[in-house]
Amino acid sequence: MKACLLALALALALALAVSSARAESWPIPDWQGDPASVDWQAVDSYAFPERSASQRNGIRSDALLIIRDGRILHERYAAPTTASTAHLTWSVSKSVLATVLGVAQGEGRFQLHDPVARFYPPMQAHPDVRLVDLLHWASGLVWQEDYEYAPVKSSVVAMLYTRGRNDMAGYTAAQRAAQKPGQQFLYSSGDSNVLAAALRGMLAAEAYADYPWQALFTPLGIDSAVWERDASGTFVGSSYLYLKARDLARIGLLMQREGRWRERQVLPASWVRFNRTPFSQARHLPGEANPGGHWWLNQPLAGSGLPWPDAPADTYAALGHWGQALYILPRHRLVIVRYGDDRDGSYSHNELLKRVLAALPKEEA
Amino acid sequence: MKRLAWLVAVALLGWAWLERQALADFPGILSAYSAKEYCSCRFVMGFDQAYCRGYVKQWLPLSSLEEDRQRRLVRATGLGQHNVATWQSAQAGCRLLP
Repeated sequence: MKACLLALALALALALAVSSARAESWPIPDWQGDPASVDWQAVDSYAFPERSASQRNGIRSDALLIIRDGRILHERYAAPTTASTAHLTWSVSKSVLATVLGVAQGEGRFQLHDPVARFYPPMQAHPDVRLVDLLHWASGLVWQEDYEYAPVKSSVVAMLYTRGRNDMAGYTAAQRAAQKPGQQFLYSSGDSNVLAAALRGMLAAEAYADYPWQALFTPLGIDSAVWERDASGTFVGSSYLYLKARDLARIGLLMQREGRWRERQVLPASWVRFNRTPFSQARHLPGEANPGGHWWLNQPLAGSGLPWPDAPADTYAALGHWGQALYILPRHRLVIVRYGDDRDGSYSHNELLKRVLAALPKEEA
Repeated sequence: MKRLAWLVAVALLGWAWLERQALADFPGILSAYSAKEYCSCRFVMGFDQAYCRGYVKQWLPLSSLEEDRQRRLVRATGLGQHNVATWQSAQAGCRLLP
């Protein structure tokens, strides 16, 4: 009788495991559609207003892809972008770089508190800067992150286009320290490129150029990735990754499922927790999401509200110039990719997320 | 009045001296930005010429922007400076030449 009960319990457990495995959708080899009928009118009218080719103003979405539970719920593109366009992600690259680094950490190649100089010798000028400080954008190095509005003083423009362009990490490492490392958040594309150079130092020389593919893109079935490099061969980890919307969504799904891709833990779950933990020294900047471990969080910092008040607190994102975004809403099992060509500040993360959540049936939202 | 003009001139010169590196770099930004981002727009994202010209357009005009489609090479000239970007490979996209 006891043996019989045990066998029954085992059979039940197995049946449950099988059915939950079946219920979980993965884009293998391609994304499946979710047949639910949802009225997207309020979302589309916000994201895709009529746009003029000559006046580059207002909200200019190139792509919007909404994934629920690993299936496509909604997908729309604006010409000339299509489902097969590998679109520039700008600073979304930074969070993807952090994901590549997470795989390297899972392989035991570094610890968060290791000094950067161990992997990238030019940082011997700043021996106290640790990898965790770069991941928090808190190297303490002098930096001015402005794009086209203040090009004369901008460190990022100098790094990408003039003085720094041949060796972007070297340009950053040559800056002077303004703060002790780890004490203050200062958003810096330079910090991200020093991370890209540190990754190089963790690998055999011939392994670096292919590492993001070998570690992350190929296991996830991503076939559209282009990652540009500087003249020294270091990935422009801050800015120059290109992906199809459907491929960036694969990284979103990996994050939503805490680093697991089907049965394989590609990324340590502890790394995703680090990405999603607010940097304790950061102070809230009005209108901006809060920095975690090279990802952006809706989680409030002490003394301030939610950066995106209409989205749940557990929402997090990878964000880039001109409106590029990958949002992950774990509680709603949603992954949203939005590509844009916004040349002004009209687009609001909160408004898009608010409309997406409002469009979904109440038990989902 | 004359003294004020002198003061302004001296202040401006002082600022220019402090910012001499950034000011010297400034004229090169336009052509470097245009060559690099146009190259990626055309040969990485795969958009057409007209779209990519609009895509890189800034408030300061370029004197020229030419592409060599065979070699996937882009030359841009503006503010008296010249820059070239070329497509490197399917994985590595475009890059400015040193």
